[in-house]
Amino acid sequence: MPRSQVTNYLRPSSPEEALTLLRDGGKSARYVAGGADVARTLPSDVTTLIDLCAMNLSSIEERPDGIVIGATATLSEVLENGSVAGVCDGVIVDMMRKVGSPLLRNIATIGGTLASAHSWSDVIPLFLVLNAQVTFYNGEYRTLSLADAYAAREELADSIITSVTIPTSTAGDYAAFQKFSRTAYDIALLNCAAYLHIDDGRCSEVRIAAGGTPRLGERLPQAEGVLRGEALNTDTIERAARVARDTTKTADDRRASGEYRKDLVYAGVKRCLEGIAGKVEA
Amino acid sequence: MTMIDITLTVNGEKRQFAVSPAGRRSLNCCGEGYKSVKKGCESGDCGACTVVLNGRAVTSCIVFAAKADGGTVLTAEGLETDGKLHPIQEAFLEEGAVQCGYCTPGMEMATYDLLNRNPDPSALEIKEALSGNLCRCTGYVKQVKAVKTAAKKIAGEAK
Repeated sequence: MPRSQVTNYLRPSSPEEALTLLRDGGKSARYVAGGADVARTLPSDVTTLIDLCAMNLSSIEERPDGIVIGATATLSEVLENGSVAGVCDGVIVDMMRKVGSPLLRNIATIGGTLASAHSWSDVIPLFLVLNAQVTFYNGEYRTLSLADAYAAREELADSIITSVTIPTSTAGDYAAFQKFSRTAYDIALLNCAAYLHIDDGRCSEVRIAAGGTPRLGERLPQAEGVLRGEALNTDTIERAARVARDTTKTADDRRASGEYRKDLVYAGVKRCLEGIAGKVEA
Repeated sequence: MTMIDITLTVNGEKRQFAVSPAGRRSLNCCGEGYKSVKKGCESGDCGACTVVLNGRAVTSCIVFAAKADGGTVLTAEGLETDGKLHPIQEAFLEEGAVQCGYCTPGMEMATYDLLNRNPDPSALEIKEALSGNLCRCTGYVKQVKAVKTAAKKIAGEAK
């Protein structure tokens, strides 16, 4: 590893202060949340690290518009939170248990995870389908859906995520998550998440996403279209999974081939939807 | 090279350390003493450097030392009291969960975090809790047994 050139490690107490420090530092300054990622991948031209964890932003609160997770809450704190466990029958807990090891989850933060935007992130596809809303500061406080925030990623590069809000679950909300990896501890070869709102036996809202394709996690609109307005049954599940396989853009990397990933998208979407169908019947 | 001063309470003792601003394995504590904090992968994958930082087990190789400033660290050296091994250490010895021993301190610190939050874990919960601590000697069977035994010992002491 090249020798670190870092000469300043700053711990601002507010987003306003942090943004000023980043802008003053220019290209040689970098934000750090939990730091697990930055510690391993620190570019040699960075001279200033701005630690965002001293800003008192780690609380998790249930509010009328949803569960507001402070950006510096660790993945363990999210996993162990009672309100979070109530979202769609514990789907966030199911997913979070598959992210790295507890040792990593005790370091990594939810804000850092969303900001680093790794293609293989297990959090991102699930938070996309749960319609997570990200609040951030870049001179003013703004809230965008996670999907919109990623679409505007370049212009938001110096923003500080302060919280992410997961809408409260209501009757008829179902979600599921699937991860494929070589070992339980490894990063995903591919992952999938699905959310359905079922009203009077039909899927009135449908969101399906895949990550590790190996692109950044994204929604699969064609597959969603198969189910919208339809009943969830063996036939519609099979058709949605096939459309997901046929329309998801996949590619080769050192972990898996694009062809194999297409089969994983099929299997992942099918298993998510079958899991939901099982819960609807129960 | 620029150095910054940080204060850590390590195994109950408040100490000052001069660290590089991007120095890690913080808690190897800056190369002094604390031999239980092993050097392993240096990328958060193997668990050999696990310490309990502010109550939670972490792979210290990917924690910036400066981030831990003002914090509390427990290493395996801090588990024993007055020369008496901690029940977790006793259990690892009794169950033969130690072979070469390199992963053992890290496993014990992960166990410490687990048993603090969950005094009576299932075998699955133990395996999940130790999933970030790699052992190249064993098949993990004895570590799982050791954690169960440690849980019983701690429950017995509490009575």
